[in-house]
Amino acid sequence: MISLFILVPLTSVILLNLFKGSLINKIACWFGMLLTLVQIYLIVFPVTCFWDNLSNPLGNYFILNLSADTLSKVMLLMIGIVTFISLMIGQYTYHEETQKFNFANLIILALSGMNGIVLVTDIFSLYVFIEVVAVASFILICLYKDKAGFESAFKYIILSIAATVFMLLSIVLLFLISGDTTFTAINIASKNPTYGFILVVAIGLFTCGAFTKGGLVPFHSWLPDAHSSAPTSISILLSGIVIKVSGLYPLIRLLTMTGGGNESIKNILLIVGTVSILVGALAALGQNDIKRMLAFSSVSQMGYIVLSLGTGTMLGLVGAVFHMFNHSVFKSQLFANSAAVEKQTGTRDMNKLGGIAQKMPFTGTTSIIGMLSICGIPPLAGFWSKLIIVIALWQTAHYGYAFVAVIASVITLAYFLSLQRRVFFGKIASGLENIKEAKAGLIIPVVILAAVTILVGIFFPFIMEKLIMPVGDILK
Amino acid sequence: MNYDLILLVIMMLAALMTVLSTRLLIAAIGLALTSVMITILMFKLKSPLAGVFELSICAGLITVIFISTISFVKPLTDKEIDERTKQRIKKYLALPILLILIGIILIFIIKPTTLQIPLAIQETNVRKILWDLRQVDLLGQVIILLVGVFGIVVLFRDVQKETNKK
Amino acid sequence: MINILILLPFIAGLFILAMPKKARGITGFVVLLVTLINLFITIKLFRTTAMVSFPWAGFGIDFALRLDHFSSFIILAVAGFGFLISLYAVTSMKGTEIYNQFFAYLLVSLTLANGAVLADNLVVMLFFWEGLLVTLFAMITIGNKQAYKTAVKAVVLVGISDLCMMVGIGLTAHLAGTLSMSGIKLGLQSSGGVAYILLMIGAISKAGSMPFHSWIPDAAVDANLPFMAILPAALEKLLGIYFLARISLEMFSLTPDSWISTLLMIVGGITILFAVMMALIQKDYKRLLSYHAISQVGYMVLGIGTAVPAGIIGGLFHMINHAMYKSTLFLTGGSVERQAGTTDLRKLGGLGAKMPITFACFIVAAAAISGVPPFNGFFSKELVYDGALERGWIFYAMAVAGSFFTAASFLKLGHSAYLGKINDGHKNVKEAPITMLIPMIIIASLCILFGLYNSLPLHNLIQPILGEHRLEGHHFSGFPENMMLVIVTVVVLIAAYLNHIFGVKKSGSGLGAVDHIHHAPVLSGIYDKAEKRFFDPYNIGLGIVNIFVVILFKIDRIIDWIVDNFTVKVTYVFTNTIRKIHTGDAALYLSWSLGGMILIVLYIIVR
Repeated sequence: MISLFILVPLTSVILLNLFKGSLINKIACWFGMLLTLVQIYLIVFPVTCFWDNLSNPLGNYFILNLSADTLSKVMLLMIGIVTFISLMIGQYTYHEETQKFNFANLIILALSGMNGIVLVTDIFSLYVFIEVVAVASFILICLYKDKAGFESAFKYIILSIAATVFMLLSIVLLFLISGDTTFTAINIASKNPTYGFILVVAIGLFTCGAFTKGGLVPFHSWLPDAHSSAPTSISILLSGIVIKVSGLYPLIRLLTMTGGGNESIKNILLIVGTVSILVGALAALGQNDIKRMLAFSSVSQMGYIVLSLGTGTMLGLVGAVFHMFNHSVFKSQLFANSAAVEKQTGTRDMNKLGGIAQKMPFTGTTSIIGMLSICGIPPLAGFWSKLIIVIALWQTAHYGYAFVAVIASVITLAYFLSLQRRVFFGKIASGLENIKEAKAGLIIPVVILAAVTILVGIFFPFIMEKLIMPVGDILK
Repeated sequence: MNYDLILLVIMMLAALMTVLSTRLLIAAIGLALTSVMITILMFKLKSPLAGVFELSICAGLITVIFISTISFVKPLTDKEIDERTKQRIKKYLALPILLILIGIILIFIIKPTTLQIPLAIQETNVRKILWDLRQVDLLGQVIILLVGVFGIVVLFRDVQKETNKK
Repeated sequence: MINILILLPFIAGLFILAMPKKARGITGFVVLLVTLINLFITIKLFRTTAMVSFPWAGFGIDFALRLDHFSSFIILAVAGFGFLISLYAVTSMKGTEIYNQFFAYLLVSLTLANGAVLADNLVVMLFFWEGLLVTLFAMITIGNKQAYKTAVKAVVLVGISDLCMMVGIGLTAHLAGTLSMSGIKLGLQSSGGVAYILLMIGAISKAGSMPFHSWIPDAAVDANLPFMAILPAALEKLLGIYFLARISLEMFSLTPDSWISTLLMIVGGITILFAVMMALIQKDYKRLLSYHAISQVGYMVLGIGTAVPAGIIGGLFHMINHAMYKSTLFLTGGSVERQAGTTDLRKLGGLGAKMPITFACFIVAAAAISGVPPFNGFFSKELVYDGALERGWIFYAMAVAGSFFTAASFLKLGHSAYLGKINDGHKNVKEAPITMLIPMIIIASLCILFGLYNSLPLHNLIQPILGEHRLEGHHFSGFPENMMLVIVTVVVLIAAYLNHIFGVKKSGSGLGAVDHIHHAPVLSGIYDKAEKRFFDPYNIGLGIVNIFVVILFKIDRIIDWIVDNFTVKVTYVFTNTIRKIHTGDAALYLSWSLGGMILIVLYIIVR
């Protein structure tokens, strides 16, 4: 029944398009939200008749080799949450109905693709679904059909093609040495010592592709443009889930399949992670556009995740997955805040904004919560994941990297504080005296996400045991 | 006589022609030529069905679509061509360096490997592979098709309305 | 069930905090409902035992709660006071700006107090204990605009003592090998003694004993009254003495022959005397009461410090008695403040006729605190005297002297506020509203009940804390056995009354009744300095700190330059470089990617 995760969104898109009418246009977004809510529900409350049922609605004609282990479940939860938020923000930011309808359809298809990525057991199918998500992202980025959108989409396409080439090269090499593209076959083949060198090269190439998709330096260059020029609901999707599910998740899968990577791969991960953290943070300091700053911040946080993976221990893996989850929550929330700000004030330029918190209290307060979480202030969720990452680094004797990770938190704090100060605090900027708080539809998702951040932080030990530590089982 | 290597070199030249030329028609023809080279290679590597797909779709259908679209486009004047070429020349400086580096890497990879590469799946029955073994990919293809449809709708529909208004 | 005690007030508190300012009615209703439910649950749980435990943060830190006789008694008392004071405050604070905030913090404090009493794990208890610092700060700050400084002072003083307690907890855990409170049984030699002292400092400072007491009188003036009535008067005493009793009776075994017991008694005795001397000369109703609160803690500490059954029973009984009559006294002070508009004793007078019920409650509570038979204060003080006398006559003397001054100062307070000539501006003062009177009346009647029928509390509440084997067959209820003690007490009370008459005659008004003590030769100098906060440890500490501040400021300038200017400039060099290289050119970006890939592959090949 896991295949329903892919099939239901697909059939619902087909159904939505069979019936024309303005009613359909209106409910498309809500329908998408319903789908994501069902997905979240299925993960949070394990419904055994759903998960244990290995049958397939398409019967014997169509056998889909899908499996959902603990990592997939965490990813599915993230996908559900971020897509829900993206749809909700989209519902209230688009003006034309056809635009909303197209947006909803593309998001639901992307949802289907993302679910596919985390559920397949075959590396070539993984590639196919990564392409699905990529194509959907291309279209979504230029939804507004403005010059900036087209330019960013173009850059994203070019670099995505580069990523695809790297990944395909790697898949070819892996296919050659293992004879089959399923995860288990690769796992068996990787234990064979004669293939050692080719395996490492294959992993290295795949890593390059994953880095490009995930937005790590020096492959990150599409990210600031794409995430800042896209409509905000798409930025939420991109920054919150797409870079993780099409970049970091395949990387994690490959590393666990092939036994954790050898020394050189780990060193690459550590170095690239560190450089990404620093470059992303330093670049974010100098930005004047809210969304561009948030995009560079995503680059920086992806660096943290890769740094944690570079340790090669189970704690490192757990820390990486937990940080992915936290980042999807608070980055979505920060982008949603910027959507509210943009909608009410009409600008994203921080030099023109100021003192908004007096007029928009909810946005200001939740922005503070998101900021504290991303900087790693206890007892919010971000603190715990960063702590695990630093502990994992310490345990594997990478003291220098741990030190850099902690120092970068200071830079993170610096640019987020400057964002807060320039946008929300201080005197109200001229021309902005009459703005009001954003409508409920833009506030509710932000409040929900802020609540999730706080709750995950406070109930951390409980969540650690139930949700995060089982992820480590995939290493066995 | 290693024919494969010659074919690969011709393919690389055709691809370079596609990317470097300033006239769209030449580029489209270069693309078709690249596909043809790949098709020949595929036939030599004993996968005729893949070669047939490649030829018919890439070298045939896509080239037809490209050329019919190009025929709608106004060609660049000579002055514009000169300006374009001057701007782009600088970017091509990296190309030879890149090629040499890739060559070095390939030498390092290919030489020391004495691995016995196992033969790939022996199935030559495309239908069986497509239908029995790769169903998930088919699902993915369906989804991509739908995404593509929506993409075209999003990108081109309003343009149609505008042209209709005119 | 016990989990509800912690979760319910907390959630209700947060809910109220989120309420808009206009929803006063809902706030009041929610507060009363929640405190009432709290009270019912504690009544239901009284005398039962229960244990809840689940792992929380690793390293043996389990979220363990234990309900036994002692803790059920304390949470019953906490819940009772919580409900009654909330009832009072709902009326007395109507129309103030801080309505919602106050009740939110009150409910959260209730949660933290419940949690601290019920906790069975040292770290969990510390968590709740420290949490009370936060609500303490919050509740003092919202009192008025200048209350911020007092709040900081309170947090610093209580914080330092809490720090001692933290170190003590660490040491205890290290010595005992476990963090679970029910499993710790240590002796008082060497490091055990050090741990005990650290914990003791934390406990008695929370209760308000010297030397960490100086924030209470300032808070009395700055913070609003229901806060004073519940926190320093009731909650903190209950918590502090509860913890002191726990560590003395269960975790360590305090015996009469150890030097620590003597130390406790000295601290208690000094607190009694010095605080009551300060109380004597106060000219503000609330400040006077707060000094008395400090002084009475001395009795409790003295009682427990004697380590003999009579003393310990006396100390514990005094704890609950004090909570009752001190909160009544503060509530009467609140009534006066609300109806007459001021608590300055120089401006008050003759309110007894206008506010009879308040006056009656005041008389009951003042008599109880002075130790007049047959109120409850008399019986608990007799027990403390008994224990103190067993250990040494000097402690007995200190306690009795304290009683003398206590009685004298309450005679002064009562006279100047309620008797005498009424002030012109107060001619139209009416009695306080009924919802404010009810809590006062209830607690005052309990004072009478606990006095007359004192076997009720002694048998059911206090004695089981000690357990049968420690009581050594003594009886403590009924009239005290040692007639000599009773006679001394009565003599002291009469002497205080005579002193008051003498003072009134000499100075001409109720207020000046103790002026002759104030201006006595040696004492007047000390009093002057004390009023200028010369002896205040906080101010002394501030002075010492100031010297360091100047030195560090100079060093700080240098570090400032390094951090503010130098680092920032260097960072911005990097930032601007990175900004410049992101040109937006797609080909450049692609070449970065390819370059990166080549580097990675080369790296793999080389390794």
